Amino acid sequence: MTGRNVLLQVAQRGGSFLGFVRKLWQHPKGRVGLIMAGFLVLVAVLAPVLAPYDPYDVTQRAAKGLRPSWAHPLGTTITTGQDILSMLIYGARVSLMIGIGTGIALAALGALLGVMAGYMGGLVDSLIMRIVDILLVIPTLPLIIVLTNFLGRSYFVIVLVFVLFGWTGLARVIRSLVLVLKNSNYVKAAELAGASRWHIMTKHILPGTSHLIIMNTTLTCAGIMVAEAGLSFLGLGDPTAISWGKMLAEAQSGGALLFGAWWWIIAPGLGIFLSVFAFMRIGLVMEEVFNPRMKASSSIHKLFKHLNNKYLDEVFQSMDDEAACGPPERLDEIDASQARGLP
Amino acid sequence: MTEAMLNLRNLKVAFPCPAGMIRAVEGIDLSVKRGECVALVGESGCGKSVTALAVMRLLRTPPSISRVDKLELDGVDLTDWTDRQMRDLRGKDMAMIFQDAMTALNPVMTVGRQIEEVYQRHTRMARREARRETIRALELVGVPEARSRVKSYAHELSGGLRQRVLIALAFACLPKLIIADEPTTALDVTIQAQVLDLLKAMQKEHGVSTLLITHDLSVVANMADTVYVMYSGKIVERAAARDVFQKPRHPYTQGLMASVPRLSDRRQMFVQIPDTVPHPMHKPTGCYFHPRCSRAADECRRRMPRLETLESHREVRCWFPLSNPQEAGS
Amino acid sequence: MKRSYVIKRVLYALFIFVVVLTLNFFIPRLGVGDPAERYYPPKGAMSDIEYEIIKQFTREQYGFDVSTFQQYIRYVQGLFRFDLGTSLRSGSPKVVELIGKRLPWTLVLSVTTLLISLVIGLSFGTLAAWKRGRWQDSVLLNASTISVALPGFFIALMMSFYLGFELELFPAYTNPNMVADFDWSKEAIMVVLNNAALPIMSMALGGIVGYSQSTRNSVIAVTNEDFVITARAKGLSETTVLYKHVLRNALLPLTTSIGMSVSGLIGGAIIIEQVFNWQGMGTLFLEANSTNDYPLMMGIMLFLSAFAILANLVTELFYVVLDPRVTVGEKR
Repeated sequence: MTGRNVLLQVAQRGGSFLGFVRKLWQHPKGRVGLIMAGFLVLVAVLAPVLAPYDPYDVTQRAAKGLRPSWAHPLGTTITTGQDILSMLIYGARVSLMIGIGTGIALAALGALLGVMAGYMGGLVDSLIMRIVDILLVIPTLPLIIVLTNFLGRSYFVIVLVFVLFGWTGLARVIRSLVLVLKNSNYVKAAELAGASRWHIMTKHILPGTSHLIIMNTTLTCAGIMVAEAGLSFLGLGDPTAISWGKMLAEAQSGGALLFGAWWWIIAPGLGIFLSVFAFMRIGLVMEEVFNPRMKASSSIHKLFKHLNNKYLDEVFQSMDDEAACGPPERLDEIDASQARGLP
Repeated sequence: MTEAMLNLRNLKVAFPCPAGMIRAVEGIDLSVKRGECVALVGESGCGKSVTALAVMRLLRTPPSISRVDKLELDGVDLTDWTDRQMRDLRGKDMAMIFQDAMTALNPVMTVGRQIEEVYQRHTRMARREARRETIRALELVGVPEARSRVKSYAHELSGGLRQRVLIALAFACLPKLIIADEPTTALDVTIQAQVLDLLKAMQKEHGVSTLLITHDLSVVANMADTVYVMYSGKIVERAAARDVFQKPRHPYTQGLMASVPRLSDRRQMFVQIPDTVPHPMHKPTGCYFHPRCSRAADECRRRMPRLETLESHREVRCWFPLSNPQEAGS
Repeated sequence: MKRSYVIKRVLYALFIFVVVLTLNFFIPRLGVGDPAERYYPPKGAMSDIEYEIIKQFTREQYGFDVSTFQQYIRYVQGLFRFDLGTSLRSGSPKVVELIGKRLPWTLVLSVTTLLISLVIGLSFGTLAAWKRGRWQDSVLLNASTISVALPGFFIALMMSFYLGFELELFPAYTNPNMVADFDWSKEAIMVVLNNAALPIMSMALGGIVGYSQSTRNSVIAVTNEDFVITARAKGLSETTVLYKHVLRNALLPLTTSIGMSVSGLIGGAIIIEQVFNWQGMGTLFLEANSTNDYPLMMGIMLFLSAFAILANLVTELFYVVLDPRVTVGEKR
């Protein structure tokens, strides 16, 4: 029952995309996430401008295994002498492109199948849900490895596999929301008015789920970035591209651990951490904004830590008849019954 | 008969929120005499349930902060009792019946086990003995086939049976005071009457004092001896049940009475009180009821009236109390 | 009523298994004209005629000499005898044997990790929920925001670096002789524990935080339920309320996520095993991948899927036992 209500609440908090971003911006943690994500996107786009060297260019390599210095703020690799800062900057491109691209494609597929399953019901629903059940038991990582083996190592294959096998979670969530929306009055009204199924799905139900989709997509982006790093670490990514996961793999096989080249490990790790953290933050703040119950309970606990005893006494005193009504004879107003906000 | 079973003086409860202070209960006095059934009446959101929980000392900090000058049960002052002391009392001397038995019962524990817990907690009974008592208690509240029902889960019982289980649970140790918070609201009308009759029978039979929290005036008419009318955290009228129904003195009480459809009524229309209860964070100045009151004057907007004794056994918080029902009805 | 539910679930699990094994059969046959090509050894210095003979031999050995449908029948028949096929490795070992050799080593890691995560996660999550807003809770909150953004293998690398190479507390890489020398002696067990320490720690960190977080949320959600007030109104102590009323309800939804962890017990450690070069199922799979040992890869895939199906089934049935409400849901 309550879960249902929460879902409806989530659905009804409609609004424009911009208003949505504004809400995130107003939330201190959301702002941190947005700034970090924006910064990373900027770095990825401007990589050729920002990076001191072109890590893809074989001629721009320095001595091998340099410690951090002014010329190479994060040092160079032990194996090839590439500038690690430049690799870090270029690595953002792969991570963000895969993360965001896959996230969006996944959201589209998941939302479509979820809405179809929820709204059409019957055969379509059971077919989609059976597929979900099957995909859930197939181990994802081994499957990706098998398919990259068959189809070749490229980011296209990785994205394709992520999308084809990763939509199940979103589809399930959307489906359960659609099941609730389906019985709401405005959908019924549209049905009575003779709107086509396609029209109802795209114009009435899909907008109701949009917030859930955006929230899920953000969290998925973060998850995909971790997964991409893992795949690249295993050497399953595009062998020609520089990515953070691959940097870590090279660091490990190149003896960074053995020679104590900590910067070679920390740098890509920091890249992964920052990008995942930024998207995770945004997603979690969205969750908080849509599901105010959780937020309220935690902020009340914070509030109690800062409660001022004098203020409390004042509040309680103002409840007394003496304060609220004033002494029986005097007619001067004591406006204490007016509620005040906390200082 | 005259000694008070429950004596509550100046209870205040507030819920601090980021947006401001929710003033749930603003200093109410309440007393329940031995064997008496007192009804606390008001719209939802007026602070009734919070009062009930506060009497049981079940409000937790956070989220709430409460102050009370005196809380007495059967002449024993509980005001400064520790939580540990209160735990020994709860369920034994003071018990509560909740509104929605479906959510008030643990879904994954058999109903029998949930009643047994009370016996095991407050008596020296062994498990087997507690089980026997439980079956007896269930039979007492009219649960058929109690012997097999003890093994049921809440979802396997009908709404009426679930509420009976809650009643059996509350009466298990024959407490001195029962607090019933909207005991019949979640039920179908036909079942409501049965459960109410049972509650009344149990109360009379065991002479248990009862604090009945409700917004349903038919329940009040059926059970209560004394009525407290609560509005926005304050008591606005206190009177014997009969008086309240026959000649309400506070405009709000009168409004409540008028909104109950009666067969004898010729007007064929519901009379409603316009608008809703003020937000507990933003209450109006003066009398809390004045924005909804047809009789409101300048005085009402300026100052909150006191709860004044009008006749014997009767208190009203109003600058211009109604003198008789005819005048008020127009 | 309960029995019919059990039968239904078992049949459904079987159905899923049939679909999965069919997929497993056809995936290597997709996208190429002749699937047998994937099984041919590299030509190397062989002459064309020699290579033709080898190819023919391979076709027969791996059953490509009959029609696809017959191959499928054989494949299913093999499964009844727990035959997952033959590896392309030298000596043509059976896939099942290879799995059998590596599986225990993976389980050493994953089962220990799961137990540690569960015990610490559940207790710490419950504590954080019960002490909501206090420092225990904030520690958990901060730990979870940081640890979810750190991939497990990066934590593993850092641990290998600091605890392994710098501080030399534990071996940074798995002792290559560990598996071969293992003889159940006290010393051998100590070697295993010593080598397993870092992999387990790096995997358990995420698990602990994850379980703490979900336990906390679940416990908090249940604490707000009405029946908790009823329990308190009965005069029960806070500990009784927590153990008898809150936890039982709060842990129910966690069964599902525990079930999911169990289904990932075997295949979930691939990257960590790779970091520490731990000779388990994960590295076996990666070896198969790098040598294009398709029978071994698909055999492991099927094994992992079957294990996941079984784990899901057990979780579902377990849930029925724990939650009295489920059967009613079926009835309606």
